[in-house]
Amino acid sequence: MKVDVEEVHSVFAWTWHIPKDNKDGSLQADDDDDVCGICRASYNATCPSCKYPGDECSLVVGECNHNFHVHCIYRWLDTTTSKGLCPMCRQLFQLKRGLAINDSQLEKFRELQLKKRTSVAGEFADEDDEEAIARAVAQQNQAEVDDQGDVIMDQGLVVR
Amino acid sequence: MASLPKRIIKETERLASDPVPGIGAEPHEDNLRYFAVTIEGPKESPYEDGIFELELYLPDDYPMEAPKVRFLTRIYHPNIDRLGRICLDVLKNNWSPALQIRTVLLSIQALLASPNPNDPLANDVAEDWIKNEELAISKAREWTTLYAEKK
Repeated sequence: MKVDVEEVHSVFAWTWHIPKDNKDGSLQADDDDDVCGICRASYNATCPSCKYPGDECSLVVGECNHNFHVHCIYRWLDTTTSKGLCPMCRQLFQLKRGLAINDSQLEKFRELQLKKRTSVAGEFADEDDEEAIARAVAQQNQAEVDDQGDVIMDQGLVVR
Repeated sequence: MASLPKRIIKETERLASDPVPGIGAEPHEDNLRYFAVTIEGPKESPYEDGIFELELYLPDDYPMEAPKVRFLTRIYHPNIDRLGRICLDVLKNNWSPALQIRTVLLSIQALLASPNPNDPLANDVAEDWIKNEELAISKAREWTTLYAEKK
């Protein structure tokens, strides 16, 4: 039999390469494995506000090894309720260093962090900027302690 | 109205196909963000003989913002006031978008099992609870028979 090739259609498939870190075995159960913890759509699909998957709606990996669509985690960190924490483990959410997938987002997240700090620092507008930011950060940290159910006295002392 | 986010559709489907024991949640036909909820009182709690009705609403910003939940059935509990509002950290400043309708409702069920009079919402109830726990518990039982649906 002789076959003549008349036309060739090439088809490509892609998926995000997600660095897995199973050291602590803490990754979620099977059905939750490859979905964004915020929008619950697959990593390879888009976040709810995008139309096309890919570079425009990329993933980011946290220092805590939790991954999200960049748009999802950004929107969350932009809320005051978030206090900058990871939705999954409630540790401070920071982009993992040295990953190509995160590199293009570093600047954006740094700006967000700064914006959050200065918005809290707004309450100390009279003071020297740097000092105000330092105090705001200290206050934020204390707010976290707050949430763990400790009793806060008026003077700002923490009493367990 | 904007279309319903996929996450809400998924959650709704899973609530129906794989329901949490003792908890029911069904969306209203004309507003899929508004759920009619029932929670069975946990065993060995003063609420054990009753089924409690609640309403749950997913705000536009959900899951960036917590669902709004309220008891419709009157209940004698230090962390639930007479309007049915609930004092629960995950509904306020400890909300996380990793939580879902089902986990929130489970937390509420757990709150029924372990009232916390030291962080009260209904001050009078909490006071009763601290002063005389036994009496408060029997009153909670009484209210359950009075207002909640029988199991």
